[in-house]
Amino acid sequence: MFAATGAINFAQGEFFMLGGMLGAFFTGLGLPLPIAAVAAIAATAAIGAVFELLAVRPIKGGDPLRIIMVTIGGAVVLRQMALHLFGPDERALGAFTQGASLKALGAAVERQTIWIWALTTVAVIALALLYRKTMFGRAMRATALRRDAARLVGVSTSTMVTASFALAAALGAVAGLAVAPLTQTSFHVGASMGVKGFAAAILGGLGNPVAAVGGGLILGLLESLTAGYVDPIYKDAVALVVLLVVLFVRPQGLLGGSGRMKV
Amino acid sequence: MGARTLRTLAPTVAVVVVAILPLLVTDRYLLKVLTFAGINALVVVGLALLFGHAGQVSLGHAAFVGIGAYVCAYCTVRLEWPWVLAFAAAGAVAGLGGLLLALPSLRLRGHYLAMATLGFGQLMTLAFVEAEPLTGGVDGFGGIPFPTLGPIQVEEAASLYWLVWIAVGVALLVTFNVTSTRPGRAMRALHGSELGAQASGIDVVGLKVRTFVMSALLAGLAGALYASVVGFVSPSVFTLAASVTLLAMTVIGGTGSLAGPLVAAVLLTLLQYPDAVAKGLPSETAQTLQSYQEDIYGLAIILVVVLAPRGLAGVWRRRSNGGEAS
Repeated sequence: MFAATGAINFAQGEFFMLGGMLGAFFTGLGLPLPIAAVAAIAATAAIGAVFELLAVRPIKGGDPLRIIMVTIGGAVVLRQMALHLFGPDERALGAFTQGASLKALGAAVERQTIWIWALTTVAVIALALLYRKTMFGRAMRATALRRDAARLVGVSTSTMVTASFALAAALGAVAGLAVAPLTQTSFHVGASMGVKGFAAAILGGLGNPVAAVGGGLILGLLESLTAGYVDPIYKDAVALVVLLVVLFVRPQGLLGGSGRMKV
Repeated sequence: MGARTLRTLAPTVAVVVVAILPLLVTDRYLLKVLTFAGINALVVVGLALLFGHAGQVSLGHAAFVGIGAYVCAYCTVRLEWPWVLAFAAAGAVAGLGGLLLALPSLRLRGHYLAMATLGFGQLMTLAFVEAEPLTGGVDGFGGIPFPTLGPIQVEEAASLYWLVWIAVGVALLVTFNVTSTRPGRAMRALHGSELGAQASGIDVVGLKVRTFVMSALLAGLAGALYASVVGFVSPSVFTLAASVTLLAMTVIGGTGSLAGPLVAAVLLTLLQYPDAVAKGLPSETAQTLQSYQEDIYGLAIILVVVLAPRGLAGVWRRRSNGGEAS
């Protein structure tokens, strides 16, 4: 998403929330989990696309400040909608596969954790292939790089932006679905997830999915270490401290090469 | 009456109305709400400077209000400082917090500050609850005395109202001075084109950091006033929702203006207490209105940004200019 418009999307955390909440909602209707998951992802992607069409596209010139403001407003509306529709209670989602934890190298690993890893790997590979190999992905990157030039060579830039919103929403929903069985989900999880996701992305280097996963990994490790060795209440502070330290010391991220956007 | 006369007269009329309002409003509840409106207005003046003039967004200003409130509570109750000193300390600590947050985030072009303030707000909400020895934890911090200015104790509803609005007036004077002189011009240049501003020799980073610190300081002072007026500070007040509310007031009020955000702050505060404005409103209606409060803010932000990016102030300016031409 950042890759396509050059602006931070504050609604991304809400897409994560929607994935989990819609998944829980659809299973609550009696749908089997795989169908509920697909439905939740599709619905979130549709919401992302509609949001872009209604609120982001009318902003002419693509002023980043205005896009940010719109995504902030959108995040609030999505969170409130989830509150009104699904209520303030926490919801649980069943694990994707039943069964005892697996033992590996002397450590117990939840089956759901393996699912998360598998999905992340698939998502990263799929994204990398999409961006590098397909016409569609190249058009998306071209749009992000220089919108006017992309339009000149025949890319429908506005379609690309809508598509990137839908794609980002779908990915957020996948993450929300995958994590929900482990942590439970609720209407208000979006905002803190947004910060964590952004911290991870900037730690790795913005606009690079592989690096973002690396950043997420380091961030998760730091959080667990803090919770284990210092105090669990500081766990949620880790993401912010990491964010500020990275902004201060190495704004291009750990793996980011060029000193882009540095003042 | 031409638009120009109206524009020169309007501030005077506004000052007079604000000043004599407590003499006309006998309802203590409504007066309290109007006092809260003043406290919000104080924060929004700072945010308007940040958003409307320097083009930066903060999603964490409720945290600075909270810092100010807790510092004021701690200094007056535990340290038994004179109120004026505690008030100043509240502004100073909040300003310092703003400096620490702004320095790393504003070195970069773009909008990292918004994300950093969002995280900062969440961190502080956590801290207000967890730092129990300082803040009283979940139960809050009570027994905060009314403001005292030297020998005078301010405790009447009307006097509290006046104290808050005098603070707003001073803040307005200071910010107006800033915006209509060199730093203000620099800020507008910044809003237009950061690169252009930099090329004209403006210290872009320093300017943004100073603006942010000033807005954090104003929020801290507002927090101190809030703590003294209410007498009790609870961590549940200074949340992301509160920050969004403050931002909504600023955005709806409009860019490049101080009057617009001020009006929006008052109107939206009144909207938060519908039962104070419309007496005899069924409490159920009032509750429904309140539960949809945030939806309204979120939608309003989107609508204003998409349809009228310069906000109330822009709409007003366009209308009065149109009137002049015809």
